[in-house]
Amino acid sequence: MNADPTVSRHALLIVSRRGSGPAVHTLEEAARIVSIHPERLRHYCRRGVFGPGLARTEGEPVFDDDRLYELRRFEHFRQHQRVNPRTLRLLCDLWREVDQLRIELRFIRNR
Amino acid sequence: MKFQDYYETLGVARTATAEELKLAFRKLARIHHPDVAQDKVAGEVKFKQINEAYEVLGDPAKRKRYDELGQDWQHPGGAAPHSSAGPNRQNWSGGASPGPDVEFSGTGFSDFFESFFAGGQDGFGSRHSADPRGFAREEAFSHPGQDVEADLLVTLDEALNGATRKVSLRRPGMNGEAERTNTYQVKIPAGVREGKRIRLTGQGGSGYGGAAAGDLYLRVRLALHPDFTVHEADLHCDLDLAPWEAVLGTKARIPTLDGRVSLSVPPGTEADSRLRLRALGLRQDDGTRGDIYVTMKIRTPHPVSAQEQALWTQLAELSPFNPRNEP
Repeated sequence: MNADPTVSRHALLIVSRRGSGPAVHTLEEAARIVSIHPERLRHYCRRGVFGPGLARTEGEPVFDDDRLYELRRFEHFRQHQRVNPRTLRLLCDLWREVDQLRIELRFIRNR
Repeated sequence: MKFQDYYETLGVARTATAEELKLAFRKLARIHHPDVAQDKVAGEVKFKQINEAYEVLGDPAKRKRYDELGQDWQHPGGAAPHSSAGPNRQNWSGGASPGPDVEFSGTGFSDFFESFFAGGQDGFGSRHSADPRGFAREEAFSHPGQDVEADLLVTLDEALNGATRKVSLRRPGMNGEAERTNTYQVKIPAGVREGKRIRLTGQGGSGYGGAAAGDLYLRVRLALHPDFTVHEADLHCDLDLAPWEAVLGTKARIPTLDGRVSLSVPPGTEADSRLRLRALGLRQDDGTRGDIYVTMKIRTPHPVSAQEQALWTQLAELSPFNPRNEP
């Protein structure tokens, strides 16, 4: 409680709360950000939607900004474009592979 | 939006080969790199221009598109930006109508690049803001705001140590609203890699029907460096050696992101062999640093004087070395 009547109270708006390292989110947070049920996200993880390299903390997957981007893209195509999850899993694999190949190509081209 | 003459920026002819482009880029980048330029501010601006020019001309597909675009880029019948510019470009997070464009500044790329060449790496980025009318046609009541994506040019030094960058996003007014510009202090985390995305929560397109706003994603593009190419957290560079240095061994000064270091080249070094400088690369996920790999390039002296010619001839007669194992 603020007992001093001379001190006015202001709402604080946190604009950015990033630490020095990349941001990571727990599975529950990621599910909330993308507005899906955590169980659905667990199911995606079990089905390998995010590939084999998904980082984990205490057995539970964690999501960086790239994974969130992938998840939002996945959900967009599933919910709004009506693409079935099996096709989307294949697409996710291909997107990841294309990303990796582009990075490799950029490296080779600039050597 | 101003047309960028990338050939002029690199000082090369329109017929320049890939090798000539690379040489021109490296030569200019060595002069204007922020670490070495006399005027840091002007150097940084020029360095970004050079990087952007080589980003386009150094990629055969982008160069072809740029050449086709030409000076008629604004005229009717010319190439249109965004959706038709890149073969893979799609507007995945929006509705049926992409809506008016948003404009970025502070990302390190010009409006021209953003309009015609950004997003080609992953092919699914979007610089369009949300169009609630478009969503309304598709969805009955509400729809979350569209995600907005842009490339962010990051130097190797910024990737190694982290940095804060001011990025502005100008959104055109819709439905009678005034145009607005938002400026963000974007923290680039230390250890960031090529292609990584930095997400700014709720800074994308506005939601419709009470739904949440989309996110703003800034995708890291590591600025090309005159000395290094980047592979994961490792840096690769070449070291030119005289033939006798390869045979006898030598010491050379190598540039690193932490300043120059001395490298001992052992006697009998083969061409294209690599030496590793441990923990002088970029930061890895676990906080340790990658390495620098130095590839030995043996250069042949030419022209040679009569005396040198005589000495090489003497060496050829004296040496039993037979690289092709011919009888």
